[in-house]
Amino acid sequence: MRRILQDIFLFFQRDLRIASTYRSPFILETVEALFGAAMFYYVARFVDSPALREALPQGKTYFAYSLAGFVFFDYLNAALDTFDRSLLEARDAGTLEPLLVTQVSLPVILIGSAFYPFAATMLRIAVYLGWAAAFFSFPLGAANWPAVFAVLLATLLAFSGLGVLSAAYLLLFKRGNPAKWFILGVSSVTGGMLFPVGILPPWLQIVAHLNPVTYAMDAMRGALLNGEGILSHGRPLLVLLAFAAVILPSSVVIFSWALRRTKVTGTLTHR
Amino acid sequence: MSDPAIILDSLEKWFPPALSGWRAFLQPFTPPTTPALHGISLTVKQGEAVALLGANGAGKTTLLRILATVLLPTRGAATLAGHDTVRESAAVRRQIGYHAGSDLGFYARLTGRQNLLFFGRLNHLSDEFSASRIQNLSERFGMLGALDRQARALSSGTIQRFSLIRALLHQPKVLLLDEPTRSLDALAAADFRHFLKTDVLARKDTSLLFASHTMQEIELLADRVAILDEGKLLAFDTPTALRAGTLSSSLEEAFARLTGRRLQSAGESTTE
Repeated sequence: MRRILQDIFLFFQRDLRIASTYRSPFILETVEALFGAAMFYYVARFVDSPALREALPQGKTYFAYSLAGFVFFDYLNAALDTFDRSLLEARDAGTLEPLLVTQVSLPVILIGSAFYPFAATMLRIAVYLGWAAAFFSFPLGAANWPAVFAVLLATLLAFSGLGVLSAAYLLLFKRGNPAKWFILGVSSVTGGMLFPVGILPPWLQIVAHLNPVTYAMDAMRGALLNGEGILSHGRPLLVLLAFAAVILPSSVVIFSWALRRTKVTGTLTHR
Repeated sequence: MSDPAIILDSLEKWFPPALSGWRAFLQPFTPPTTPALHGISLTVKQGEAVALLGANGAGKTTLLRILATVLLPTRGAATLAGHDTVRESAAVRRQIGYHAGSDLGFYARLTGRQNLLFFGRLNHLSDEFSASRIQNLSERFGMLGALDRQARALSSGTIQRFSLIRALLHQPKVLLLDEPTRSLDALAAADFRHFLKTDVLARKDTSLLFASHTMQEIELLADRVAILDEGKLLAFDTPTALRAGTLSSSLEEAFARLTGRRLQSAGESTTE
């Protein structure tokens, strides 16, 4: 186990070293986050009304509600995207084959390669929230951080399985990320990112209740904006963990099968 | 007597045909119908150097990739240092140094040294050992000047030499090299062959299986030569025995007589 963690850290170190050779993106992303936070603030001011505040299930303002939804989607996107993107980058750069003949297995290569992009996403979210708190009175002080991190961890466990499935799809079909397309597409309407699911027609509300993203989003807003503790989120956390318990092992089995299949067909490193 | 370094037993590899359009979705499930290797059986002894000689598409790279565990055979078995390449792939990878013949495979934004140290760590070498090997091998190949430059600024020949250093870094028992001197200039190629002959093969503890189209390279390095044609092993013997057996004055002539082809400089071949 210690060896696996060390191997994972090697990939993080590699990506950090590569990222440090580019200077400007971090500065540009930091500035972009400020403009992003400002945009949410002014849109919220434009649409703000007592009726809207009344309608919001969590959060005192639409600004806090919508920004929390947006950054959570960014996090979800990272969970769904980083595995297949790291595989795609290694394949296109020609480093996949040299990596595959080392002592490190492909699952460890994938997890290790996903580590830095994930950390970068977390940092970007922190910058977004930092700007929002500093300039636009985002209620960061209300957050219950242990509960926030518990929700983030449960979300990561639940949705990284879909990310692994996407990597398996990429191995077999070379392009595309249907899990990301489907989950983010469906969830942008039914997950409660920018508006409460209560305003949806009944049949879409049924979809929303079947979608684990809705539960994760509710729990996240509760912990971040209302300071609710882990125990208040027992049900959503259980839903996410149950989803993870099904998806994660299945995704590992399917990924192993896809890997073996590409070694049979000789298409492992094909573009 | 020590165990052979490599044993191939009736090794076969078939690939599915390449599909396009909407049928490409069926590609992963398409049965293999295109033969790449037909029942190859041969043994490479410990410390022996064996060349794979054949036209493009003869199966040389497929054979090396099966031994490197990045491809699975369709039938038959391949054993490397006593380990089956399918069932014990991790143990096989511990024993091999593999050069895929490509001038890709390095992180463009990292220096040569950073790239090599990273791959050394992935092979669980200590940084002290890797750093010392990188320094020695780079010095040996006159690469010290390139070591601390980003890979994106290096020529394809320099990248290929770094790839060869990567294959040698952990002092593997079996070296699998696919056209090791393809992108090297004449002097660098001669120097690398000399290094293999005097520093690697002379110690008799490393076996070498390499694919090459360069007769001079094969004559210099190979104890035995496996001649492949359309996935079939046509002959496997010493260069001298191959020449004598085909009444040829050169290995190239022996190859032409055995395959009915004539080798051209870039590795293309024509059927006579």
